[in-house]
Amino acid sequence: MPPEPAPHEAAEDLSHAPKQKEASFIKDLFSVPLPVKKLFDLVPLVTYSPNQLPQRSPKSSRIPSLYIFSTDHDAAAGRPSFNPSCLKWQTFLNIAGVHYRLVSSNNHASPTGALPFLLPPAQSNPAQDALPVPSNKILKYATDHGGQIREPSGMRYEAYQSLLDHRIRNAWLYTLYLSPGNFSSIAAPLYIHPASSNPLVRLSLSHSLRSAAAAELLKQSAVIDANDLHSEADKAFEALSSLLGADEWFFGEEAPTLFDASVFAYTQLLLDERLQWADAKLSTALRRRANLVAHRERVLGRYYGR
Amino acid sequence: MALELHVWGPGFSLPSIDPHCLAAIAYLQRAVPEGEWKLVASSNPTLSPTNELPALRNGDVWIGGFRNIFHYIAQISSGEWVLDAGLAEQEGADCIAFSSFVESHGQPLLDLSLYVSSENFTTITRPLYNTIQPFPMPYLTPNSIRAAAKLRTDHLGLSGLDIDIDGTRTQHSIIPESLRTSRTTVSSLLAASPEAHAQIRLDALARNFLEPLRDLLGEKKYFVSDKQFSSLDCLVLGYLSLMLVPDLPQRWLSKIMRANFSGLCAWTEELRIEVFGPAVTVEDALLKSPGASASAAEQQIGKNFSLPWAAPQDRGVIGVGQTYLATLANSIPVLGEYRRNIREEQLSQKTEEEPSSTLQAATIAGGIFASAALLVGYMFQQGIIPLGGEEPERQRGSGLDAFGEAGAALSIYANQMDAEVQRQRILEVESHGPPHSQPAVEVEIGSNGTVVKETTG
Repeated sequence: MPPEPAPHEAAEDLSHAPKQKEASFIKDLFSVPLPVKKLFDLVPLVTYSPNQLPQRSPKSSRIPSLYIFSTDHDAAAGRPSFNPSCLKWQTFLNIAGVHYRLVSSNNHASPTGALPFLLPPAQSNPAQDALPVPSNKILKYATDHGGQIREPSGMRYEAYQSLLDHRIRNAWLYTLYLSPGNFSSIAAPLYIHPASSNPLVRLSLSHSLRSAAAAELLKQSAVIDANDLHSEADKAFEALSSLLGADEWFFGEEAPTLFDASVFAYTQLLLDERLQWADAKLSTALRRRANLVAHRERVLGRYYGR
Repeated sequence: MALELHVWGPGFSLPSIDPHCLAAIAYLQRAVPEGEWKLVASSNPTLSPTNELPALRNGDVWIGGFRNIFHYIAQISSGEWVLDAGLAEQEGADCIAFSSFVESHGQPLLDLSLYVSSENFTTITRPLYNTIQPFPMPYLTPNSIRAAAKLRTDHLGLSGLDIDIDGTRTQHSIIPESLRTSRTTVSSLLAASPEAHAQIRLDALARNFLEPLRDLLGEKKYFVSDKQFSSLDCLVLGYLSLMLVPDLPQRWLSKIMRANFSGLCAWTEELRIEVFGPAVTVEDALLKSPGASASAAEQQIGKNFSLPWAAPQDRGVIGVGQTYLATLANSIPVLGEYRRNIREEQLSQKTEEEPSSTLQAATIAGGIFASAALLVGYMFQQGIIPLGGEEPERQRGSGLDAFGEAGAALSIYANQMDAEVQRQRILEVESHGPPHSQPAVEVEIGSNGTVVKETTG
């Protein structure tokens, strides 16, 4: 019945103006007489303080909070995160001597879509609250807030950093997410099971997680060649091992740096006894380099109280 | 032993337009004795088990990816054809680390310069593929390579170089407004070119890549050691020559190299001549100098070319069609994934017995064969492909003859079909009266009739 609504609408349009007049008249009728309004202006006599936020809402704290992948229990105890990039910045903040608290979280909490991020301490005036600091700005934040930071420089730094960011990371992505045994024994309990107990949701989550890892690897090559990934990671460990040599910290520094934190992020997770690797190729390759294993023990002992 | 290195074809007067292919060419040129290997500009990644070039062929064995090729060469020569042997421990570690650095930091620069930048891509890079690939392939290849390049450089936030995309990007991002870096601004619209606007970012990217390399080279002759040409030098040569040599409309990359890194430029120019020889043209690589037969071209190899070019196998219409469909299949979401999984399984099995040909062919054979046969049969009927007898030893003759029979068989079958259809239609018309769209039917019958006449005549 297409023609019908048109006249109906027109009628409504016509009735609009009188309605408005009527409304203002009614308003006048109900407006508060002046003496009564004066009385009411005294109200409220008492203002109660605002209600507290629910207990499980994030507490504003005086120290910055680092949001990482972890369990509530581990986060409270300050234990290492199970995610390499979270662990890198967690270790870095420990090294820099910045005081912070850990919050166990997931990617959905992050403004950038990825953990970790740092939430600066709350100010007395909420309007002045600083924005969350994404991971690539944590270094600057720590420098600005009195962290003791030593930054090795030179041509080798970038090159060896690329070993970690590409070779070892690619092998890590493959080992953790795409290698079938490891996904069910390690990645699923850590990343999938805490998110939901529904098998369908878990299935879809693990599918999206694995396809994201595959997509990341396929950016660099046309196929995912497991042998190539492993042999490149093996060579990368070899190169890192000879870079460290007999030194205590990388690049011959007297104290650990961000680079040590980046190496530790992977070595800790590959050597952690709590993780049961079904396909342990990558950790076996690492175990062959005694000085890298010793380096991990040093960082663990110094910054995680073991 | 005849090793065949299959690479992307030549461009910019370099023997290949791909950095990894250049690296592999340099490696074989230095490591493998002359006469033991040939260079084939086949420009066909579907040949390779990893679906990427360079690929090395040794008889029935195909090795894909340049790192695998280095390993394989060392393996079959029992450690003789290796460039990195005898490096000191620290040098070996540097070689590994900088190889990773060059790959991870150099690739985005080449992606931006050759593929993402609209002007460079449309005026130089895309037309180049027309010269190195047979006819239908350039419709697929450059665009898919460009898509991959865009994906790789997405995180750099320089997609503004690509002006083909719509200005109004409606991105559904979870990043709040205050944390987002703006992509298109008024100044970017006013700027003469997107490259000029992004100049500072591009300069920073290029410097991040080139400065460590300059420091590593120092006063040495080669990157790792003063005396030894290593695999790192191959890789750097591949990347740097593709940054320096191409003459592009937007030459920010070569400009910054020439202005600030004269040492690297001199090194690249010198080694480029030394390893790849003088400027390479498409005719050199494909050995199709006008008027010269294959044998004459082979005679020329010894005299003029420092690289052992061999003509790519002429795969004919069927071969090209097969490649085209295979490439198309790889880009279809579900099917492409399935085919990739098959390749990965084959790679992980690491069996030596003919890795790709049989299974790959089996998966696509049905569809491809049918469509290719129909196409070729049709071409025979139309006389597009002459059935000339004077093709003495080329494989082409035999392959097309086989399809000639197939085509003939098909045409006979088609005749029967036509007769049958006509009979049915007549029956239909008799029983139900005239069909709704009689003129169209008449036209159809008429065209069938002409085709039948041509085949019989």
